[in-house]
Amino acid sequence: MFGIATWRALRRRGVMGINQRNGDYVLMYNDRRLYPLVDDKIRTKNMALEAGIQVPDMYGIIDTEQGISQLEHIVETHGDFVIKPSQGAGGDGILVISDRFEGYYRSASGRMISPEELEFHISGIISGLYSLGGHRDRALIEYRVRSTDLFDRISIGGVPDVRIIVLQGYPVAAMLRLPTRQSDGKANLHQGAIGVGVDIATGVTLSGTWHNLKIDRHPDTAHPVAGVQVPDWDQCLALAARCYDLTGLGYLGVDLVMDKHKGPLMLELNARPGLNIQIANDDGLLRRCRLIEDHLEARGEDAGTEAAASRVALSRRLFAVPDLPEAPTPP
Amino acid sequence: MRSVKLHARLLAVALLVLGAGSIAYQILVQDVPLTESESDPVWVVDTQLSFQARPNTPIKARMFVPPLNSGFTALNESFISNNYGVNVNRENGNRLVTWSARRGEGQQNLYYRLMLTSRFADPALPPENGPQFRPSPELKGAERVAADALLAPIRQHSADVETFVSETIKRVNSEDSDNVRLLLGGDHSPENRARVVDLLLAVAHIPAEPVHTLQLQETSSQQPELWLRTFNGQNWLYFNPADGRQGLPEDRLVWWSGEQPLLTLEGARGAKVSFSVHRNEMSALRLAQSLRSQDASSFIDYSLYELPVPSQQLFRVLIMIPVGVLLVLLIRSLIGMETLGTFTPVLIALAFRETQVIWGVLLFTFITAIGLSVRGYLEHLKLQLLARLSVVLTFVVIMMGLISLLGYKLGLSTGLSVALFPMVILTMVIERVSIVWEERGGAQSLKVAIGTLVAAVLCHLLMVWSPLVYFVFTFPGVLLILAAVMVFMGHYRGYRLMELVRFRAMTEEGER
Repeated sequence: MFGIATWRALRRRGVMGINQRNGDYVLMYNDRRLYPLVDDKIRTKNMALEAGIQVPDMYGIIDTEQGISQLEHIVETHGDFVIKPSQGAGGDGILVISDRFEGYYRSASGRMISPEELEFHISGIISGLYSLGGHRDRALIEYRVRSTDLFDRISIGGVPDVRIIVLQGYPVAAMLRLPTRQSDGKANLHQGAIGVGVDIATGVTLSGTWHNLKIDRHPDTAHPVAGVQVPDWDQCLALAARCYDLTGLGYLGVDLVMDKHKGPLMLELNARPGLNIQIANDDGLLRRCRLIEDHLEARGEDAGTEAAASRVALSRRLFAVPDLPEAPTPP
Repeated sequence: MRSVKLHARLLAVALLVLGAGSIAYQILVQDVPLTESESDPVWVVDTQLSFQARPNTPIKARMFVPPLNSGFTALNESFISNNYGVNVNRENGNRLVTWSARRGEGQQNLYYRLMLTSRFADPALPPENGPQFRPSPELKGAERVAADALLAPIRQHSADVETFVSETIKRVNSEDSDNVRLLLGGDHSPENRARVVDLLLAVAHIPAEPVHTLQLQETSSQQPELWLRTFNGQNWLYFNPADGRQGLPEDRLVWWSGEQPLLTLEGARGAKVSFSVHRNEMSALRLAQSLRSQDASSFIDYSLYELPVPSQQLFRVLIMIPVGVLLVLLIRSLIGMETLGTFTPVLIALAFRETQVIWGVLLFTFITAIGLSVRGYLEHLKLQLLARLSVVLTFVVIMMGLISLLGYKLGLSTGLSVALFPMVILTMVIERVSIVWEERGGAQSLKVAIGTLVAAVLCHLLMVWSPLVYFVFTFPGVLLILAAVMVFMGHYRGYRLMELVRFRAMTEEGER
């Protein structure tokens, strides 16, 4: 029968299902009390700053209606910036200002925005227009990430990011998330972005996934997605591994962006990372998590004490992909 | 983690055993009917006693009635008589009814009606100790010789009391022997034969007594049949004196034992007793209830049937909620269909009770669609979430009012009149769908709404399926079994059906 054969094949490949992720990983490694740390971007950012983890610079926070008039002062010295709701979801309410002209602001898509319009937008953020459950929120004004041009061929609009899943401080899987026209510049897979697996050992991209399918080329640019080197990969892994020490969340999705000048920056954390990363890497998460768990069990008493660098080294050794795809030749 | 898993499994098994045990107890020991429609034969035995009263003399009629101590439960027993005093008392293991009147005239009819069933009968009481020895009667001359001559081979051919009695009956019935003929003295009636058997047994010091039985079979008139019984130290053994068969058939009811006649009459003559037996069908449940009303012990004690009827009605609905919740749980964890929360489909299913499924689904779809399009419009106005939802809900209520009004004007009153409960639930559903829309987009909320609707319809169909409702209500142990399944599902780590499709790309099949 179709179902049973598929079931067996998935089990053989160590594919993790939602029931398993929720029961054996999220419920088991993530203390519910710690969720607010990752749900509120400002708290995450402050925590990261204290620990010396690189994040996009925070220019200011606006949390009251009176504070909105401070905007002009906050962005005085910055030509471009991003305004985000601190507890937003799915990228709603994010406004990217790329330039200024004659007292107007220019958005990333080229629209001119008057200061009044911008203030109205911030007012909406504060009153909870974009936050989960509609309670009051804070507006975060921060550095605008300038995407490296390495991904230009395989990304349309928006900034690609790298999602790394970290189990007990060990990176287990990584995926490059590339916006498409359909995803409207957002890097969320369920909105139509594509995910491309990344080899943990080298940071070279593998094949990709789009809407649960396996793909080899970007749907908009038709360029092959495999064989691209993610820059500063060592730093990416080190950053991701340290996010575990930072939050205490044992099963964590770390989202990083590659800035042209500042290198990898930690963007946000996710306590329930999705499972499509498995299709992107064409490898089961369960298989990889089991390897880490076996390692931890073997260490016994010392399980929690391994240093970040040694954890990363182990992951690189365990999850190296044997034959990497060739870099695509420019057409 | 291992120990927690083991703990959960033990809990699930314990719940399962407890639940299954209580159900098994109810079925096997309390004999609770498995389905509502299960019916049992109820035997109605009518006894008519008629006689001619002598004028100006007190009348006293004493008649045996069944002792009812084994095999059958009496549902109802009535003595119908005009102007007679009725008195029932026990005597040597028999029951005797005495009708008495100061005077009566002409033809008198007295009735005794007994309704019997074999369900819920107490297991036969341990028999009171019967006699095991009796002195032999004084026999003289030829009879003495004949009896001894008959008994000698019987003793030889038998091993114990049981075989002795059957052997005796066989010999007495064979008639070819002169000895038997002598003892019978020309009277070949079954009664006389029984008397001779009894006599022979008495000579052998074996205690025996005649019992008079009635067969429970549709008959308009029947006379009690004579059987013999003897006590072997543990049990009463019954024998048919006509052919020596042992064991009382299931459909025979002991009316009285001993040699006394059925009826003794004073102050009257021309007595006639006739029995008629009818068979009725009665639902096992009603039967139990009527037993309960006459204080007989039945499974109704300590069951939900003891609640007052309005509470029972409510509980019939309430007790099905875990069934619906379990279904939603299975739909979500096994199939992977997304629904709004766990409880919402069950609540919608409850709302369907009042609106009917078809109307409910139409109403649900229509009003949700209206609510969401209002939401979409308000999104343009950049209203805050709470304000936006409030407006949506207000419009939902307005829509419901319009629909009701329209339905009423068109004469479709029954289907379209929206009750309070469904309205509240619908409003809640729209709020939750809207929140999903806010958080995860339109396509997702559509998917969730359809999943919820499908789950709700399935839940509704399951929750109103009357055999199931009866079963859960009658055997509340089912709830423990459900809880066991839920605990077990809490540790289910397998794939959901939808995931087999989602990750199909990762199998070799998907490669091709």
